[in-house]
Amino acid sequence: MKYQKGYLDNPTLLKIELMLNGIRVGKKALDKVMVEMAGTDEMVDGIDIVLSHKTKANVPYKEEFARKSSYLLKSRRDGFFITDGEGEVKVEIPPIPNFYKEKTTTGIPFSSIGDVHSGYVVITPSKRCDFFYSDVECRYCTANFDSNGGTESTYSVDEVLETVEAAHSEGKAEIIYLSIGFGKEEDGGIRFLKPYIKAIKKHFNALIAVEALPPIDNIWVDETYAIGADSVIYNLEIFDKELFELICPGRAKLIGRERYIDALRYAATVFPSGTVASHLIVGLEPPGYTIMGIDYLTDIGVIPILPIYRPSPGRTLRVDPLTTEVIAPVYAHLYRTVKKKGINMHWVRDISIVTTPLEGRFLIDGGRGFRSIIRDFYNTKVGLKTAWGLATLRRKLRVKESGESSGSSSS
Amino acid sequence: MKIEIDRRPLWLLLLLKGIRPLSFLGIAFVFWYLLSIPTPEGLTLAGRNAIAIFLVCLFLWVSNLIPLAVTSILAIIMVPLFGVLTERETFALFGNEAVFFILGAFILAGAVMHSGLSKRIALSIMGRFGDSSRGLVRAIFLLAAILSFFMSEHAVAAMLFPIVLEIAKGLKLRPGRSNYGKLLFISLAWGCIIGGVATFLGGARVPLAVGILKETGGETIGFIEYTVAVFPVVIIMLVVGYNVLVRLFPVDIPEMADTGGLLSRRLQELGKVSYNEYAVGTIMFVTVLAWVFLGGRLGLAIIALTSVVVLFIFRLVRWKDIEEYVNWGIILMYGGAIILGTALDKSGAAAWMADQTIGAWARTPWVVIALLSLTALVLTEGISNVAVIAILMPVGIGMASKFGIDPVIITFSIAVPAGLAFCLPMSTPANAISVSSNYVGVKDMAKAGIFMGITAWIAFNIVARVYWPIIGLGF
Ligand code: SF4
Repeated sequence: MKYQKGYLDNPTLLKIELMLNGIRVGKKALDKVMVEMAGTDEMVDGIDIVLSHKTKANVPYKEEFARKSSYLLKSRRDGFFITDGEGEVKVEIPPIPNFYKEKTTTGIPFSSIGDVHSGYVVITPSKRCDFFYSDVECRYCTANFDSNGGTESTYSVDEVLETVEAAHSEGKAEIIYLSIGFGKEEDGGIRFLKPYIKAIKKHFNALIAVEALPPIDNIWVDETYAIGADSVIYNLEIFDKELFELICPGRAKLIGRERYIDALRYAATVFPSGTVASHLIVGLEPPGYTIMGIDYLTDIGVIPILPIYRPSPGRTLRVDPLTTEVIAPVYAHLYRTVKKKGINMHWVRDISIVTTPLEGRFLIDGGRGFRSIIRDFYNTKVGLKTAWGLATLRRKLRVKESGESSGSSSS
Repeated sequence: MKIEIDRRPLWLLLLLKGIRPLSFLGIAFVFWYLLSIPTPEGLTLAGRNAIAIFLVCLFLWVSNLIPLAVTSILAIIMVPLFGVLTERETFALFGNEAVFFILGAFILAGAVMHSGLSKRIALSIMGRFGDSSRGLVRAIFLLAAILSFFMSEHAVAAMLFPIVLEIAKGLKLRPGRSNYGKLLFISLAWGCIIGGVATFLGGARVPLAVGILKETGGETIGFIEYTVAVFPVVIIMLVVGYNVLVRLFPVDIPEMADTGGLLSRRLQELGKVSYNEYAVGTIMFVTVLAWVFLGGRLGLAIIALTSVVVLFIFRLVRWKDIEEYVNWGIILMYGGAIILGTALDKSGAAAWMADQTIGAWARTPWVVIALLSLTALVLTEGISNVAVIAILMPVGIGMASKFGIDPVIITFSIAVPAGLAFCLPMSTPANAISVSSNYVGVKDMAKAGIFMGITAWIAFNIVARVYWPIIGLGF
């Protein structure tokens, strides 16, 4: 398939375009979005937009580059539209969750703890990353973390639970992403996340994804699964060894590329198919390397997730972003490879801030060959309950506990 | 808590999970079927029901689908429920002397261990006799055996294990590789096993077998009478066992590195002999004397329980200290097994089963004894030795009447071999504890154990044939 201008009809191409170039927001549309956002402490800078085929995209609109974008979000009486100057396509702007305007009993706005994207909530209980202490932070990092260098601010288990409860009551917490930055502990942050995971699992029938750094020992991968994580994400970010060392000096020095790969390989034997994932940032290394990364990761049973690189203000690293024409074949390759290797693509889906393997289907034959029954099923209430039930049953069958403490054996 | 992830295919795990409920369904179906078929000739209705209950319990004891004690509780429920014995008879059987004897023995052993006396004796003997490589093996082997004359062999294994492990580490033996390491740990296990059959105190088997014997035939076996009958087997097994060990696992370390220092350091840590040790030792000594000389008149349980009360009168132990040594599961298991054995006997089911099984082709008492002892030896490798007693005793008692054999002899033929499990770690806790050291592999244990199993069977039958008639136990 040849990728040309005029991407409005293809949701994946449009998503890539929008993530790369951002969007201008018309006054009327902006007013509507702003009214929605009033009173919230919004965390993510972009606007969540639902494109055709329920494809969700988080699109930059405040940044300098977005102001020059050829795409415009406009609002009419019959809804929101994106236009590229020649045509237009109808889109949806999901309503901002009501609980964003509320606060925890300790007075923290829910919106600063939980970041809702369609059916999932991203929570980062501790905004700390020790890479900043040693000046080895990832060179592109803006993250949700405190980039000023590890000034700690930690939400308590109760605050997180209240947030999940609030999101849950609006049907927005079917999947909870808990993420944590780098800490010097050998467990990759799992000991810290454990009370949060346990508490969420105890109170809600929710699926939990953990985005952490690979632990030193695989027993912590076992522990991650045993305590209730349904998915684990160790982000390698850059596949090429030299570029990895250059761009992610902390990850390279304090964890090591080999450890990332070993932990991912091992996790893929513990977690269900398609639930172990790793980010490979598209645009920070030549696309050929990303493709090699896709092949390698899928060989060991890991789902690659490809976020798109955009230079961010305040960071020294500035690489010219790639174009949609260059990026689209990488996503097509991702979809084809994951499908060929038989890895389940339905777990990592509907994520607005990255492009998922499943979305690559629209780059193959416009997505016509794809039967969306399973995806649609898992998006229903019954489907989500089924997914949760199966995940719980699987854990019950697989996890065996014996006398000794894992904490002691790991030291 | 240590976590392990079972990576076997999910379908297999599901299947394995499904086996449990399916097994219970299967058991219920077989039970229902047995109750619905016409009662075979020569068997009463109560007898048929007793056999159906026995088969259910047999399966549960062997498969370990539920804990042994819970299977016994099931037996206690089913026996009156299906009209084999009345409720009153059933529960009265739980008050059997054997149950209280073993309760007393648990408490006494607990007191000895808690006082530190047993550890002191172990360290002193090992320190005194373990001055050469072979000497140390002999010391561990004999010490484990002798201690098991007086307390549960499982407790002895657990008590000596850390000491032997320390010696192995002190000698820098390589786990799984060093012959000497294997020698030390198998000596420990075999010493306990062989010593454990020497008296009533080495394990729960003998009191249980004697309990069933008493309930079914009214006969009993005295403390000393048992030991006198069994001792030649113990001596033969100790001699053969030691020789098998040093030949199968030749000593591969240079003549004695310093273990004496290590043992005397451990002994020093214990300090001087305490008042508690003296007092508990004296009570234990008097108790054994009373068992030997007054056991027949007063009953073993009465003596054991009296000693227990004395321990508490002198505040030598607290109930809290003792609780961890009392295996309530085994006590429940006993009660149930005695009830089931009695139910099979009183309903005539035991005799009928004996008739239909070994009785159908065994022609002489000698063959019966040989077959029963062989069955007990084989079964005990796979299932708990008290379960072997619970399963075989009712059949054996049935055989006794059919072949005119003294039920006491039948009891010996089952109770003694049931304690001699040498091959596998799951056979008995002493083996499991040894294997857990990693110095001995399952293969090493099985290799040596098969030979010992055969020796045990031959030795037992020779003693039964040649020696027993001399002491008035002819058949
Ligand atoms: S791990 Fe890297 S990307 Fe994540 S917070 Fe730390 S520096 Fe930023």
